[in-house]
Amino acid sequence: MPIEEWRLPETSVHRSIKGAVRNVWGQLRAGIAPDNEAFDSLDDLPVLSQLQLERFAPDRDYARMAMLLLASVEENAADNPVTFLVAPPFSGIHKALQVLADDTHGASRRLITPPDNLLLSAGDARSWWDACDLTQPWVIPELSAFWLRHRSGLELIRELLKRVAAGRAGEGLVGCTSWCWQFWSHCLPDARFQALTPAPMHGELLGHWLNDLASRRNRQGVVARMSDSGLWVLPAAADQLDEGQKSASFLRDLAALSRGIPGVALAIWQKALRARPDEEQQARDRQDDHHPATRPACWVAPLEKLSLPSMPVTVGRGAALTLHALLLHDALNEDRLELVTGLTGHEVALVLNRLRRADLVAFQEEGARWRITPLGYPAIRRQLQSDGFPVDPF
Amino acid sequence: MGDLGLSAAFSDITVDALLEALFLVVLASAVIMVVQNLVPRVAHQLGGKARLYLLASVPLVRLLVIIVTIVLVVPVLVEPSFENMIAIFGALALALGFAFKDYANSLIAGIVTLYEMPYRPGDWIDVNGKYGEVKSIGTRSAEIVTPDDDVVIIPHSTLWTALIANGNDGSDNLMCVTEFHAEPHHDVRAILDTLRDVAFTSPLVKTQQPVRVSVQNKPYGMQYKIKAYPLDPRDQFRFKTDLTMRGSEALAAEGVRLVSVPVATV
Repeated sequence: MPIEEWRLPETSVHRSIKGAVRNVWGQLRAGIAPDNEAFDSLDDLPVLSQLQLERFAPDRDYARMAMLLLASVEENAADNPVTFLVAPPFSGIHKALQVLADDTHGASRRLITPPDNLLLSAGDARSWWDACDLTQPWVIPELSAFWLRHRSGLELIRELLKRVAAGRAGEGLVGCTSWCWQFWSHCLPDARFQALTPAPMHGELLGHWLNDLASRRNRQGVVARMSDSGLWVLPAAADQLDEGQKSASFLRDLAALSRGIPGVALAIWQKALRARPDEEQQARDRQDDHHPATRPACWVAPLEKLSLPSMPVTVGRGAALTLHALLLHDALNEDRLELVTGLTGHEVALVLNRLRRADLVAFQEEGARWRITPLGYPAIRRQLQSDGFPVDPF
Repeated sequence: MGDLGLSAAFSDITVDALLEALFLVVLASAVIMVVQNLVPRVAHQLGGKARLYLLASVPLVRLLVIIVTIVLVVPVLVEPSFENMIAIFGALALALGFAFKDYANSLIAGIVTLYEMPYRPGDWIDVNGKYGEVKSIGTRSAEIVTPDDDVVIIPHSTLWTALIANGNDGSDNLMCVTEFHAEPHHDVRAILDTLRDVAFTSPLVKTQQPVRVSVQNKPYGMQYKIKAYPLDPRDQFRFKTDLTMRGSEALAAEGVRLVSVPVATV
């Protein structure tokens, strides 16, 4: 859908007020109990094993997502042969676009990767794009890998956008995180390109999607019920429930908490699932029956029982600058973080260590870079917005 | 009428009534003290816009408590008849007019401050050459803290005569101007673009607010000005330092030298 049509999933007033009060209380309490920042489960039900997680809430099928994206791009074909796909972090666009250039999936597009050195002059950037073969259909899975927030790190994207505007960039697909897109919209206000974005996951859609993920392993999907009230979470559709069975508002609240972002919702969903200690029920789970009550089943902990990661209050301005830089660039190593935040090497190391302990960032072995965690994203975005940072529109 | 009718107005005051009034005044003072100490602490813990809103609410809450206290105390001491009110306020006006003219002037200006809000806690203001952040607004005066950590007491009566410049006016948008004085004979357009990039790539800039770079021809060379907004008004000095540092580096990389001593115009 076009970016202008994107709307944040709604939640109940009760839930909004409760969330705001919890957030304020969390910030006030952080000064008293600074160690309680990482993810924590506040109930005593057994969590799912890795095997059960893969059964109930497996990761997305990026090949399928790539095909759906391609179909959607063709359906919304604009005048310009280069299409921009803008999405909030953890939407899965990056990995799906990578699949398009993967040999095992037909390699329908040529993958364009950034140079090692991103600090280029305008002339060097021109030469680099001249040397790139843009005659065949190409794909850039993540545009934010092509720049650095430094006065010498802007030229590659500037030159690309110039070529796209002039129609000299061939046929391409560009994935871009919403934070990076927001920066460039302000930096080059005259560069107006029609961008597409995935629709937000609101409650019902989220329910179908989570059930769809699980049905890759269990043909008939799964049954999930609230561990406190017994209300039904999955199946989400009311017509699949028997008379007298009531749906919980969990999916609606989850959609609002995750801001409709599939990756964030899935991460919270995985943390909320609880094992069912009832052996008799497990035996019934194995039966192949389409009735909800006899599908593989698990419990869902209420969102109040999940203490998601929160921003450390005492860590100072450096933490916010680091997190904002990571969101702008998707992922960065320590040297580049130093360059874009203006912090010294030891400051970056100390801040990253603190943020890692709070479950807000994670080190990615592949590429040796730091990234924001999906569980920490809602708290990070809320804090950056409160601190006056420019935030994405999603 | 020699005593303006005050003796008649206060003739029915009993010890119990005095104690009750005293209790109300002490209670109100305690509430004001708690609000003035607690709310700023909570505000600093929260940060962001919530901080500004909470700080701005302190003087309003104080005004509310004062009004409620007066409304409660006066009927305890005197019967609130028309004659009694005339007598009390007449005597007060006389006393204030002669003995505490300047003090009353500041008190009244303080009430006008609460109504017109030329400055609120959290604002960055310049009054008579003193620049700083408003920390608190008292009954008679406001306290600002300068960048050098000096506390300056500004009587509210200054409001009547002085020019008050408010940098952010209750919002979190405060424009900073960073100047560069460069030697002439260079590509001005290229330097304008470079300085704009310097501002946009500062980690402390609000990119959602305008970033402007201007240039003026001066007798000693070119004067460039970057006008941009820091993330938070409290970041202004760090922001200007960052722009100055990285702007100077960028100018040096472009082969443009800064003038060391501007030549005074005759």
